[in-house]
Amino acid sequence: MGSGAEAVRIEGLSKVFDERVRALSNIDLVVREGEFLAVLGLSGSGKSTLLRCINRLIDPTGGRIWIDGEEITAAKGAQLRRMRQKIAMIFQQFNLVRRHSVILNVLTGTLGRTGIAGSLLLRFPQEERRRAVAFLERVGLGDHVEARADTLSGGQQQRVAIARALMQRPRLVLADEPVASLDPALRHSVMRHIEALNRDEGLTVLCSLHDIDLVKAYATRVVALRAGRLVWAGLPEELDMDVFHEIYGEDAEMASNASL
Amino acid sequence: MAGETPLAATRTPWERAVGRLKAIVIDTVLLALALAMAEFLALAFSGRRGPTGMLLGAEEILDLLHYGWIASLAFAGAMVWNLFEHFLGSSPGRALAMGPREAEEGLEWHETLRGWFVAVLIELTFFTGWLVTEVDLGSFLTKFSKASGIVRGLVHPSGAVLHQGLVLLVQTIFLAFMATAFAIPVAFCLSFLAARNLTRGSALSRAVYLVTRTGMNFTRAVEPLVWALIFISWVGIGPFAGVLALWVHSVAALTKLYSEQIESIDPGPVDAIKATGARTLQVLRYGVVPQVIPPFLSFTIYRWDINVRMSTIIGFVGGGGIGYILKPRVDLGEWGEVGTLVLLIAVTVWLMDLVSAKIRERIV
Ligand SMILES: Nc1ncnc2c1ncn2[C@@H]1O[C@H](COP(=O)(O)OP(=O)(O)OP(=O)(O)O)[C@@H](O)[C@H]1O
Ligand SMILES: [Mg+2]
Repeated sequence: MGSGAEAVRIEGLSKVFDERVRALSNIDLVVREGEFLAVLGLSGSGKSTLLRCINRLIDPTGGRIWIDGEEITAAKGAQLRRMRQKIAMIFQQFNLVRRHSVILNVLTGTLGRTGIAGSLLLRFPQEERRRAVAFLERVGLGDHVEARADTLSGGQQQRVAIARALMQRPRLVLADEPVASLDPALRHSVMRHIEALNRDEGLTVLCSLHDIDLVKAYATRVVALRAGRLVWAGLPEELDMDVFHEIYGEDAEMASNASL
Repeated sequence: MAGETPLAATRTPWERAVGRLKAIVIDTVLLALALAMAEFLALAFSGRRGPTGMLLGAEEILDLLHYGWIASLAFAGAMVWNLFEHFLGSSPGRALAMGPREAEEGLEWHETLRGWFVAVLIELTFFTGWLVTEVDLGSFLTKFSKASGIVRGLVHPSGAVLHQGLVLLVQTIFLAFMATAFAIPVAFCLSFLAARNLTRGSALSRAVYLVTRTGMNFTRAVEPLVWALIFISWVGIGPFAGVLALWVHSVAALTKLYSEQIESIDPGPVDAIKATGARTLQVLRYGVVPQVIPPFLSFTIYRWDINVRMSTIIGFVGGGGIGYILKPRVDLGEWGEVGTLVLLIAVTVWLMDLVSAKIRERIV
């Protein structure tokens, strides 16, 4: 579990937006291979910013990040793209290309390695198409291969996004509140697919969550952010009222009532 | 009031100085306008006559204005107003440059000097405008019979130009079509350079954005009619000059519309595609293009529609199309033939309007 090599190493990470908003302050964090790390924190505490710094969708203002020993904060151009291929991301709003078919959305997971000319014409190798269909069947969407992405329900769209992530052949998965915009009843079905990435594929997962139940059910380790600082790290079973006070401050009662 | 610091108080001295300067400039301009109009009205109503003994025309009165005096007086007035603002109340310039003073808030317009000044300025503008444009209600109301030929022509169109008119109408539609078609690829490429959300990356891309935006804004500001005159002297009279004129204008207009559309896309899919390790072109192809294609199509059809209307006007100056044969007939007073052509244009524009609205409805 937490004994493998370093998958992610973060040192002194800071992000200041527009020279005013301090979203992250001096974060140090090591994630080991095969971990399912949950990131907790109130809205605005910097969870999304942290995850987006790891694949450089956001450029940090300070600090360094290594992925599998290679520094992504120093990577540029082709090297950055190659490193991003190994890092899949799953978003709260799914972020599918709404007007494209489900399978085309899944195939975008291969953009980092397909030829540019073909991909601009929406063409992909047969081999990749077969893999895409296989992944779609695995997430239970074998009947929706050619459907337009925006005709699917939220839970189905998020499963398409998971298939897209698998298509990347990633080593690391960043999931930013993957079930926050889904019906509570659907949350476990999507979380189980993300858990499968971790358990069956052996992928390292960093997942921001705000539902304590989900953290306890799926995470192998937890860190918590508060106002851009890392305020707590531990195991899911160590989460108790004292810890809540540390993470959520005055809102602790509310957070625990909502989910314990 | 403790919590609500007025905006002016939070400004730096430098910002306040700049605000004051702006206020003086605006006040000078406004006072100069008021003085010029006052003098114009005074000259007009003092009944001065020209060398021929006739009442002066608007142009001649404008010639007589003492611009130098007006300018210096206005400047002095603005200085006084801004220096004694405390006693005279806020000035229009100050209100525009720095926001109105708190002391004035809640007052009706007629309770402040600024309000009165603006009211007088509006009245002056209206009366001066009446004289400058030589409004003549008398002719408008009593001399309709002189124009009745046109109306009669519209009601009794002549068949003589029907054939030629139809032929040129087809040319007009194609002219507009070619201009639009040529404009699409150029505007499509330029619009990515003119979209702020795609050009934040480096100093170079920001410079490209600025140059593209400025160039397009300037191009769009020049009327198609002027472009037509330029291209007529370039490639000669005929429909091709019209195509080029409408093309230039359409490129600028479409670039603006397209790039605004790009700026309003959902950034989510762009992030998702970027995160897969895709190249910039792939990010545009998958993250941006699918989101903007339907609105682009709709704008483009609308542009074609506009180009059909514009090409009739462009024909007037020699840019081909149906306008080309309309002009001489208006000059000669062949109202029956004018009527035929005007009806042809009206029906076409109406049809284009209808068709383009239907197509756009389908797309969006
Ligand atoms: N692009 C941006 N520009 C300016 N400020 C930003 C930007 N993105 C995030 N912020 C600010 O940074 C802080 C952290 O935001 P972030 O989105 O990382 O929080 P979060 O923990 O993901 O919250 P949520 O649960 O609402 O998603 C917030 O104060 C937010 O307003
Ligand atoms: Mg977030």
